[in-house]
Amino acid sequence: MAITPLSSPFFEKREVNSTPQNEEYAIFLKNISKTFPNGTVANQDVTLGILRGEVHAILGENGAGKTTLMRIISGILKPDKGEIFIDGKPVKIRDPRDASRLGIGMVHQHFTLIPEFTVRENIALVLATSPWLDLKKVDEKIAAVSKDMGLEIDPESKIESLPVGKRQLVEILRLLCQDVRILILDEPTSVLTPIEVDSFFKMIMNLKSSGKTVVLITHKMKEALQISDRITVLRGGRVIRTIPTSDANEALLASLVVEGMLPAPTLVRGTPGDIILKVESLKVKDDRGRIAVDGLNLTVRSGEIVGIAGVAGNGQKELVEAITGLRKVESGAVKLLSQDITNKPTRFIIEKGISYIPEDRMHRGVVLTMGVHENLALKCIEKPPMSKSKIIDRRSMVKNAESLISKFSIKASDPCTSVENLSGGNIQKLIVARELSNGGLVLIAEQPTAGLDIKASEAVHQKLVELRSMGVGILLVSSDLDEIMKLSDRICVIFGGKIVGEFMPENLDVERLSRLMLGAD
Amino acid sequence: MVERQLTISRGTKRSIVKALLSVVLTLAVTSVVFLINNVNPILAFIYMFQGAFGDINLASETMIRMTPILIVSLGLAVSFKCKIWNIGAEGQLYIGAMLGTIAAIGIGGGPLSLLAALVVGAVGGLLWAAGPALMKVKLGINEVITTFLMNFVGIYLVQWMISYPFRSPDTYFPESSAIPSSSALAVILPGTRLHLGVALALALVPLVYFLLERTTFGYKVKVVGENPEAARYGGMEIGKVIFVSLVFSGLLAGLAGITEVMGIQFRVRGSLSPGYGYTGIVVALLGNNNPIGVALASLFLAAIMNGSSTLAWTMNIPMGIVDLMQGLLFIFVLASEPLVRFLERRGVLKL
Repeated sequence: MAITPLSSPFFEKREVNSTPQNEEYAIFLKNISKTFPNGTVANQDVTLGILRGEVHAILGENGAGKTTLMRIISGILKPDKGEIFIDGKPVKIRDPRDASRLGIGMVHQHFTLIPEFTVRENIALVLATSPWLDLKKVDEKIAAVSKDMGLEIDPESKIESLPVGKRQLVEILRLLCQDVRILILDEPTSVLTPIEVDSFFKMIMNLKSSGKTVVLITHKMKEALQISDRITVLRGGRVIRTIPTSDANEALLASLVVEGMLPAPTLVRGTPGDIILKVESLKVKDDRGRIAVDGLNLTVRSGEIVGIAGVAGNGQKELVEAITGLRKVESGAVKLLSQDITNKPTRFIIEKGISYIPEDRMHRGVVLTMGVHENLALKCIEKPPMSKSKIIDRRSMVKNAESLISKFSIKASDPCTSVENLSGGNIQKLIVARELSNGGLVLIAEQPTAGLDIKASEAVHQKLVELRSMGVGILLVSSDLDEIMKLSDRICVIFGGKIVGEFMPENLDVERLSRLMLGAD
Repeated sequence: MVERQLTISRGTKRSIVKALLSVVLTLAVTSVVFLINNVNPILAFIYMFQGAFGDINLASETMIRMTPILIVSLGLAVSFKCKIWNIGAEGQLYIGAMLGTIAAIGIGGGPLSLLAALVVGAVGGLLWAAGPALMKVKLGINEVITTFLMNFVGIYLVQWMISYPFRSPDTYFPESSAIPSSSALAVILPGTRLHLGVALALALVPLVYFLLERTTFGYKVKVVGENPEAARYGGMEIGKVIFVSLVFSGLLAGLAGITEVMGIQFRVRGSLSPGYGYTGIVVALLGNNNPIGVALASLFLAAIMNGSSTLAWTMNIPMGIVDLMQGLLFIFVLASEPLVRFLERRGVLKL
């Protein structure tokens, strides 16, 4: 994919005198350090200047300290050490209100809008300065800001009825209504479809041309290169380098972001065997009772990775839940080998050999407050050696944990530590370890690398490929097209609850695939 | 491996600090109340302690007081661990006591009647909890409301039973007949009222600990309580786990009721329990649903109850001080998590 530089050359050539007092810096951080109570060093001596009116990308892996740093600027966390300068003046930011007074606003990865409220009500909530609710004034403000930015949002619509991309715009609109000058966006594109990303980037350029300063936290190099004026790479809580985007390229950034990149595996295609999983004219309803999977047909063979490509919300979630027994099947059938597993209890389906890496790993995949050893035994607690006649064998649990921790290189201080002490990437490794050690026939992997850094993603991919070579059939559901194209032996496109197209990797037509994903064909 | 099990985890340390903090704050606020009443708080607490543990007789009375509280709260700890809030232990206790007493009188003596009474009493409590448990699992009705309301149904039902069908013919008060002396629990310390029920309650501590920490049921209770979505994903039958944990707490509440009858009161009266079922809630929370913590907490509450009667006649403090302290304890236990977090943020506490 070609990188289109949208950034103007103005900032890239600008020579700046880099002292904190220089007023050209919207924000200057000096020697910021932050250690969490559990001993994690999130930031160490971070010194970083963000110029007024630039788009500044903060690039780094998960756990590099990007989000912590931005939370310090927006007043959510307090640094242990260091100073913050806004417009050349030293400031103390004690809480988010301080930050907002200084004109700093942040859009979090997890949105903070009230779903039952309308756009107008959500914005009124933060603008309220008197006990009287002056909705007319709020409307005027929204109208003025929307016009400036070229945003089209109906203030009357309820948040829950808006797609994710629109919700994000409302978050930004809300900040702009508060007259924020410096916008911090935390992984803003992770929830967007490719088309939404394009229009989102245009919006960022609008923000920039109206004089706002934008700080973009991301772990995607392509995005940083495409949209930013300067890039700062963080690794292990330290600033590795700040470079003008015009001097950067993917290879350089990759070497800065990761130490010791794993060699990309030479991908061999699988050798599919017999059909093991068969889904026949399946109909499933979503939470609101509407048909989400609408007569879907699908097969997975042993030793084959079948990729399900599609825009989120086209029935992927419901399809996966129906296969794993977590959601009722209205009609149709799911067959594992010759056995009908339609509407069977989850326990039965697990025992017949369907493993499942869930998308929502924090809420579905693990019990955060329980130990690593207990989480690794989640699906086999009733079987020896984990338990005999209902009595748990703790020693086996710990032994199992120790072996999986070393086999999957999970970073955990000891096998009994609470999962909440692990980073997101290591939690995913834990889930993968558990699901892969189950010895299943079929693995359903739902967004298995979402939010993971390059190294962790690569490790997950290698495990999937390894499993395939052992004859497991894998259903890979992902909104990351690159991932689907890299791994799949067959790509099925899902739209509106149906499979609308199928490609073999050797005759893949990306353009046609995109059109199918959007239901255009 | 052994060392790892012996070291106290961060979570355990935290809950110990939380419990101690709640106790200290309760004592502090109670001291203020004492001061307002012109009573020296230090002296008051000394009298309280002496009233609870001053001599062998007083100490065994405190142990006796602890018994029903401990049995109830061990059961509640299991349901609370599953995040199922059984507020109905008081009613389950009365129903258990009533049915157990009827069984003891009906069989009419002998070792069989002793055992039968204990079993019937426990099952009575279980059955009284089974209604709300079924409603929770099958219909999704909030157990807080159903178990709480079933208290009134249960207590008034028992009062009716001891007023009419099962009223003792030989007294003027509404109370049941006395159980046969052979079905009374034996006194284990001569010269005191310390009965076998105390030993039963203490024996339940390691048993419930084992149930929670070493059985697949205890594991499932924890997973369902901490993250029901993960429990579903892991293939657990959530409804079954919730049902069993709720009726288990009913079982122990019923057992507490019949133990109190067979060890101390020997018949069912309207005043059988001064709210042990509610005290059990405070105790389970203060003990952080850990059987050992629960044992210590129930001893503490029993000491407050017994110690304050000494306080009443030495320093003229009304018995209502018990309710005050229990209420304060409840508030501070609930407030202890945000309080500890606040102290951590301020850097006062490091955990």
